[in-house]
Amino acid sequence: MPSSRPRPRSPDVRIYKPQLTSVLSIAHRATGVLLSAGSVLLVAWLVAVADGSNAYAALDGFLRSWIGIILLVGWTFSLFYHLCNGIRHLSWDMDFGFELASIYLSGWLVVSASVVLTLATWIIGMAAGR
Amino acid sequence: MLIRSSKQVSRWRRPRRFPVPPASGTSPASRIEQGKTWPEPQGATRVRHLRIFRYDPESGNNPRVDTFAIDRDKCGPMLLDALIKIKNEIDPTFAFRRSCREGICGSCAMNIDGTNWLACIRALDEMNEPATVYPLNNMDVVKDLVGDQAHLFAQLHSIKPWLRTRTPAPANSERLQSPEERAKLDGDYECILCFCCTSGCPSHWWNGDRFLGPAVLLQAHRWLVDSRDEATDERLDELEDPFKLYRCHTILNCTRTCPKGLNPGKKIAEIKLMIQQRRS
Amino acid sequence: MSDWNREDPLDRNPPGGRASPLRRAIGLGSSGSGAHHWWLQRVTAVALVPLSIWLVASLIAHARDGQQDLLAWLGRPAVAVTMAALWVILFWHMKLGLRVIVEDYVHADRMKFAILIVVDLVSLALMAIGVFTNLYLALH
Repeated sequence: MPSSRPRPRSPDVRIYKPQLTSVLSIAHRATGVLLSAGSVLLVAWLVAVADGSNAYAALDGFLRSWIGIILLVGWTFSLFYHLCNGIRHLSWDMDFGFELASIYLSGWLVVSASVVLTLATWIIGMAAGR
Repeated sequence: MLIRSSKQVSRWRRPRRFPVPPASGTSPASRIEQGKTWPEPQGATRVRHLRIFRYDPESGNNPRVDTFAIDRDKCGPMLLDALIKIKNEIDPTFAFRRSCREGICGSCAMNIDGTNWLACIRALDEMNEPATVYPLNNMDVVKDLVGDQAHLFAQLHSIKPWLRTRTPAPANSERLQSPEERAKLDGDYECILCFCCTSGCPSHWWNGDRFLGPAVLLQAHRWLVDSRDEATDERLDELEDPFKLYRCHTILNCTRTCPKGLNPGKKIAEIKLMIQQRRS
Repeated sequence: MSDWNREDPLDRNPPGGRASPLRRAIGLGSSGSGAHHWWLQRVTAVALVPLSIWLVASLIAHARDGQQDLLAWLGRPAVAVTMAALWVILFWHMKLGLRVIVEDYVHADRMKFAILIVVDLVSLALMAIGVFTNLYLALH
């Protein structure tokens, strides 16, 4: 009878509940990918500065437009999140902070710290720039 | 919410699943269809609804999700009581594993309201309404809630989970351990091999064919720290691999879900540190 | 999820085969590597903590600079050396991190090898462009 039919695979990501553990982990990966893309832009910016042609003016104009600002805010948040959560990972690598309460406490700390640092950076940046 | 014990049930109910398409990356045979709604119990005042994954290998149909209604006044307090009631009184073809009904055998591990746990120690009162019950994740389903664990036990077999020695056993006694040496096994030996952690580990979902997974790595740690074992060198050699061990990205779903309150994530970090210790 | 689209001629144990579960679990055995990758990712991560903070602080400080001011700043030896170090470590870290992501999600082996080569070469190219631009600015 249906012996040739392959067995179904039980669902995983489709039904597993998102928890702080997995959400922060995939966010670490996502911000890493965003920062990789951002670092290409960073090198492009350096080359544009050095080039001395119209490239710099074009890139600078783009980064000061609304789209540019949104990208830069996203880059800043990604950087601070990846930095803070990276420190959390380094502490785990030293076998520190593995109790479930510590995992959750440090997780929420990382989220709050990255929001605060992003806001602080932009407030200071705006104030210093004007 | 600050979690102090993995026994706590999170009050954070939304979102209940990751924003991925319901059929993403699945073979046609694994797509889940709308199942049957079984009749409500007569004259019940407290009704609990359970949405349960069903698969009948003899029907030739795809898996489906059936909805059962249980009269709470005529059912024991735990999810396992409800599952047994369904099998006894509603649908005798319903299949699931169970044995001890007290959280020590690891048979009734399943995905309950989105996280993995033992049905015998999850109270119906702690579950969503309607509650959802699936088999452990990422396994070939034999029938209903019964997944094929052959690969998981083969992975356990592959780390040789037995005492490996070179010194002959003492003639007139056992291989002795000091109380301190014995204490090093605490947190490892309690594992009941229910595989809640491994089947809840995203790394094992994507690379379960090569990544050993938290349950097996916890067992690997158990033999690495056993003072009577004399194959630490070989064990570490066998583990040092980008996939077998280092596919662990410290996501920690394992530690979050372990129904025995163990900490597989921490033990895997300790294995990585052991490997670093011998390198520098 | 992983049962789909995994067929590959390099797969010795294709789905539906009759190999024993233990043979499948053992696979090709342990490569005896992975620790070096893990260690270097940690070393570069530690170095990136001060370097990324320095980068953000510098970018804030020079947010309103024109091109000439930026050229003067980038021409200073300390800045050139620090930024060159940043490129080396940043793109090394990126290369290690992206490698893991590709290995996690790409399972068809030949496709995976091709992408890994691209990831490695692009990372090294970006590293080289950054470092040489800094040297150029410092020496000009």
